[in-house]
Parts: sequence; structure tokens; C-alpha cells
Amino acid sequence: MAIKGGGFEKSSKASDEIPSSSLADIAFLLLIFFMVTTVFQADRDRPIEWPEAEAAEKIDEKQKNIMNIWMERDGRVYINDQEYGMDDVSQVVAPLYAASDRALVISIRGDREVPYLYMDLLQKELVAAGVVRVVFAAQLEQSMQRERR
Amino acid sequence: MAVMNSKKTKVSDEIPTSSMADIAFLLLIFFLVTTTFPKDKGLAVVLPEPGEEAQVSQKNILHLIIQPTGIVDVKRGESQQVQQMRPREIEGLWRQEVTANPNLIAAVKTHPDASYKFMMDVLDALHSANAERISLQILEN
Repeated sequence: MAIKGGGFEKSSKASDEIPSSSLADIAFLLLIFFMVTTVFQADRDRPIEWPEAEAAEKIDEKQKNIMNIWMERDGRVYINDQEYGMDDVSQVVAPLYAASDRALVISIRGDREVPYLYMDLLQKELVAAGVVRVVFAAQLEQSMQRERR
Repeated sequence: MAVMNSKKTKVSDEIPTSSMADIAFLLLIFFLVTTTFPKDKGLAVVLPEPGEEAQVSQKNILHLIIQPTGIVDVKRGESQQVQQMRPREIEGLWRQEVTANPNLIAAVKTHPDASYKFMMDVLDALHSANAERISLQILEN
């Protein structure tokens, strides 16, 4: 008499498949964990009024190679959330520029009402630090707005 | 008859939840793919290397002197003739001038008290006119 399964019948009723019903829950848990723990670029936006430019183009460089230098209306300079005196800028920028293998792009984010005197001083500091590529950050200006001004 | 009111089909009256995770993932992936982060925009300039000073013949220079009022004084090379312009008129001027002299350099000299935005307006006009040789300076008395 042929015994079904050769005599080795399953004794337990536990399923031999990996339970897949909780897979989505695990995936979501991981996703939420990584979303919460991810930290984006540290420096916060400063309250400035952007200048406008029609010819403004996107900066063609990786985000990590862009360094923002903020200049407020009264000429105060902020780099990475910290205020620096005008004379210290080249000393702050030069080592970072060298560390980036001269790939760093400086994005000057100046308030539109800053007297040009401060902008010129800042540019001289950047030249002293050996920086070559600079972008004057601006908001894209639509042609229609220009007509109205 | 009570028998007539009893359910005849075996269709479940619950919303199927097994495909909910699939739908959530589909939405998630859709939004991941379609999201674009705002990229910084601006006017790119190339600063000179330290100590780099080029001697340029006066006839190849177009002086653009930005006054604190935002009016631009245009001077061609050595001539003392001054033409007053608004920043937006610079674009057309540059296109005219550069066809006459392809070696022309725009020397943007801004008054120390002039707002940064006036310099940006002039720089914007020059960029719009595809000017490549631009020198940014401060107006010295």
C-alpha cells in the first residue's frame, strides 16, 4: 500500500512561505526612517530681497560644490549661517576652495539694495582667495514685469 | 419571503486592502520621479586671477558708469563724450557696438553708493546681449 508522501507527511501546519503581507509595512517603516534622518544642506536662507535678472541661468554645478555667501542690506556677510567680517572672507573661503579642488562655485546672494561698495569689497576678497567662478544669484525676471517697471 | 432577501453573490462587501500598499508605492514613485528641486539661478561671471591685469587698448573699451540714481553714463574709449542711458537700453547698444568692434570689452564701473540692483540690471542687459568680456569695477574718483 503506497503511503502518500512516502511516509513523511507534514506534521506541522505552519506555512513554509515567507509571510509577505507585512513586507509593505517594513518598506514604509524603512522609508520613513530614512526620510526623517536625512539632513539637507545646512545653511538657512537669510531675509534678503533678491535682485532680478532676465538672463539668469541655472548654476551648472553640483549642489555640494556651490557655496552661498549672503550679503544683507547693511553689508553684513554670512557664510554657512555664521557672520563674518569683510576682511575674514578670503581666509574663510580660501581653504574651502582648495579642499574642493578648485571646483567651488561661489553664489553671491546679495540684497538688491546693498551699496555697491560692499559688493566690490567682497569681490576683492574672493579674488584674493583665488576664486574664479562666481554667480550673482538672482530671481528670474519675466519680460512682462520689466515692461511695467 | 425571507429567502429572497438573502445574499446571492459571494462578493465581499469590504474594500480590498491587499493592493493598498501597491497603490501607495505607485504614488510615491510617481511623486519622487516628478519632483524637481528648485535650482539656484544667477548671472555667472569669471573673476580675474590674483595679480592678473591685462592691458587693453582704450579703443576696445566701452565704459558703463552706473550712477547712484541708476542712470548709466556710456563713454566710448578715450572720447570724453558721455551718453546717458537706462540700464535696459544697454542690450541694444552692446549688440550695435560689438558688431562694429568684436574685441570690445564692457567695463562696468559702479558708483560706491549705487544699489547692487542697478549693477545687476546692467549685467543682466550685457548677458542678454551675449556679452562675454565684462569687467566689473568700482568707480574711483
